[in-house]
Amino acid sequence: MDSLLQQLERFSEVLAVSRTTHVSTWDAATVRRALQWARYLRHVHRRFGRHARIRKALERRLQNQWKQEGGSGPAPALGLTNFQALGHCDLLLSLRLLANRALGDAAFHYLLQELFPGPGVPGAEEGTLQGSLALLARRRAAVHMLRSSAYRENPVLQEDSLMKTQAELLLERLQEVGEAHAEGPGRFLSRLWEHLPHNNFLKVTAAALLLPPSSPRHQEEESELGNPRRAGERGRELLHWLLGKSEVIVAFCRNLPAGLLTSVAGRHPEVSRVYLGLLTDWGRHLHYDLQKGIWIGTESQDVPWEELYGRFQSLCQAPPPLKDEVLTTLKSCKAQDGDFEVPGLSIWTDLLLALESGA
Amino acid sequence: MAQDSVGLSSDYQFWIQKLSVWKQASTLETQQDTCLYLPQFQEFLRQMYEALKEMDSNTVIERFPTIGQLLAKTCRNPFILAYDESQKILIWCLCCLINKDPQNSGESQLNSWTRGLLSRILAAFRSDIKEVDLFTQGLGYAPADYYPGLLKNMVLSLVSELRENHLNGFNTQSRMAPERVRSLSRVCVPLVTLPDFEPLVEALLTYHGQEPQEVLWPEFFGAVNEAFLLKKICLPVSAVLCLWLRHLPSLEKAVLHLFEKLVSSERNCLRRIECFMKDSLLPEAACHPAIFRVVDEMFRYALLETEGAPEVLAAMQVFTRCFVEALEKENQQPKFALKTYFPYASPSLVMVLLQRPKDIPQGLWHRPLKRISEMLKEIVEDETQGSSGGPFENWFLLAHFGGWADIAAEQLLTSVGDAEPPEALLWLLAFSSSPGDGPQQRAQTMVEVKAVLSHLGRLLRSPTLSAGNLLAAAEESREGDPRPPACQQLTRRLLLNFLLWAPGGRAMARDVITLVSLPFPASCLSLTAQVEDGAD
Repeated sequence: MDSLLQQLERFSEVLAVSRTTHVSTWDAATVRRALQWARYLRHVHRRFGRHARIRKALERRLQNQWKQEGGSGPAPALGLTNFQALGHCDLLLSLRLLANRALGDAAFHYLLQELFPGPGVPGAEEGTLQGSLALLARRRAAVHMLRSSAYRENPVLQEDSLMKTQAELLLERLQEVGEAHAEGPGRFLSRLWEHLPHNNFLKVTAAALLLPPSSPRHQEEESELGNPRRAGERGRELLHWLLGKSEVIVAFCRNLPAGLLTSVAGRHPEVSRVYLGLLTDWGRHLHYDLQKGIWIGTESQDVPWEELYGRFQSLCQAPPPLKDEVLTTLKSCKAQDGDFEVPGLSIWTDLLLALESGA
Repeated sequence: MAQDSVGLSSDYQFWIQKLSVWKQASTLETQQDTCLYLPQFQEFLRQMYEALKEMDSNTVIERFPTIGQLLAKTCRNPFILAYDESQKILIWCLCCLINKDPQNSGESQLNSWTRGLLSRILAAFRSDIKEVDLFTQGLGYAPADYYPGLLKNMVLSLVSELRENHLNGFNTQSRMAPERVRSLSRVCVPLVTLPDFEPLVEALLTYHGQEPQEVLWPEFFGAVNEAFLLKKICLPVSAVLCLWLRHLPSLEKAVLHLFEKLVSSERNCLRRIECFMKDSLLPEAACHPAIFRVVDEMFRYALLETEGAPEVLAAMQVFTRCFVEALEKENQQPKFALKTYFPYASPSLVMVLLQRPKDIPQGLWHRPLKRISEMLKEIVEDETQGSSGGPFENWFLLAHFGGWADIAAEQLLTSVGDAEPPEALLWLLAFSSSPGDGPQQRAQTMVEVKAVLSHLGRLLRSPTLSAGNLLAAAEESREGDPRPPACQQLTRRLLLNFLLWAPGGRAMARDVITLVSLPFPASCLSLTAQVEDGAD
């Protein structure tokens, strides 16, 4: 067992190095050894896939990297992060070496000979590296063709393929990080927030919160181990982090489109509470301009009337529990302000009037 | 060798020109043209690889100075990369250009350039959207990790858009524009054999838009059909049915493919034919009358062209049997009236023919046989009845259900030597072996057959029963003259049946079969199988 773990560590190092310029010192023999190692680990994956104890031990070792505090830079220099990855570690290694310009010509030549022996390899082509690499190239072409000819970005953001894929990846990663360390997900997400473009990140978060309860991809892989990973659980960590960070939740509610937020709020009551709280807060910042006859803000970051109205309108189109909650909130705010029926005195009155006439 | 290289050179010129025109296959015309040539180009790439692998990289450049252009242009055409094995062969060609030990800057540059190209095909994918890249990198995922998932999601999204059209009949906003559906079917042409695309192919095949004309691209159907016949794609019967209903050439190709398979395999026992038949999905699809009629027509032509070749006849009988099984499995109540399947035949005759002999107790077989014989006799010999088709049509109908003629023979032989053979059975046998005979000829045949039967009956009771005697009885005619060939076939058939059914017949089966070297008529194929099975 120990030797197995050692092999794993050493291969992880090799995998990490394969992306760096250090490979310029590699010759054909080194490449051969690296590939052999990968093949061995792949064999381990096949052999011990159903062996829960060994699998767990290997996974724990792989997840160690998550425990390291304060990783440098935005992207962790990841190699193998879970047991599944062992199943195609040779592919990972090969792709890194193929893309690495620092690899010498002789070593590269050897690599190509190993990876692409040519025709006459009978039987399970898909099982071989050659087959997998060709399949990857084919799939890439397929994605490209679909995107340029027939694919349209889905207006319903959470159903857009790119969004969904990113969301699935995020949840998957959170799952692994969470298993390694209880505090893991929160720290990981904070680090992502620091380094990634906010807009996309927020959209992916929303999409992740709207993913259906069971991800079929994981069901088939994990059900054998008797450890079904439900997207619900993974989403909870994300939600927890989101609600805990005021800067993030404010940006979330402010920048995402109304329809998307309505969906998220409908699904997660905790979000709807915070969202409504923020909306009422923003509403209070507006005052009525008698001359122009409209509600305006004083500062540039104030949410304008149109946007506020748009968001409330979207919320009122949601199904019952949420819709009722929104109306109740609006009515109670209106009551607090004095329960006026005349426009121009309380923003809540005006909003309710506009919603009724617009509906 | 020299000739090959000359051929390759001229092909080379042709393809370089084509690739220059196609560029990235971004317009309708270039896409259409590329799709037409995909298989040939792949073959050309294979030939190039065979030539290149024998040379070192310097020789390659000498021999094909513009090879770089050719390979680079190929890399830029996603339709080619997406097709079958083209991407793999392209990679092999590129590998041939790598120099293990570059001696000068020129060679180094070539290496560098080739590596860049390889990288582009394999490793350096970008999703064209910067934020997605950053995000996935931030999570620590390489494109190789998430591309399969992305493709799956894209396919699912498109499938649900296509399916939505059925439900949102009046919601014009969510309906997929016909041009988009068409373009999607075009994109699928090189990708039908990619397993990820199966749901999309199925959704396209079963897609029914609002437009009266076909919205899918015809080459799409051809590509799917090819892949299906070569077993490179797995489709449910409903999708294959849609394919064949929407694209007649595909159905015809499928039937021809089946014919080829049946004809090319050496010894075809019935079980194997049945296997091929069920595999082809044709009997199930034929539950739809339009498909049945087309397949039937093709059998008809095949029989006419080959003048009743036994293989074709056997295939048709197996087809009909599988078809009837499929019909019964589908529903208790047939969706279509029998007349839609057999428009030229009398419905009552069809009803009787459709009965399965094993559903009827053996002792009562003579009843349906008698009915069939009488009905056919009435139709065929009454020349004023033009509507039920001539003798060929009726023979053709009977031939579908070859089992009945076999049973008639069986009945005659199990009771050989007992009573007088019933005229109805004799007539049926005579008709099935030569439908074109006039009444007089037929009567003569019936007499001949009666004679053979009585001879066989006598042999049975005699102590000197042997293989030789039996053959002699079959070959000789009453007056010692050689029989007309149709009659000969019939008597040979009777002989086989005798071996099977007459008491003591099986014991001599092996001997007789080894003695006989001439071909047996079609329905005897099944009997041969039974004899061989039974004799073991």
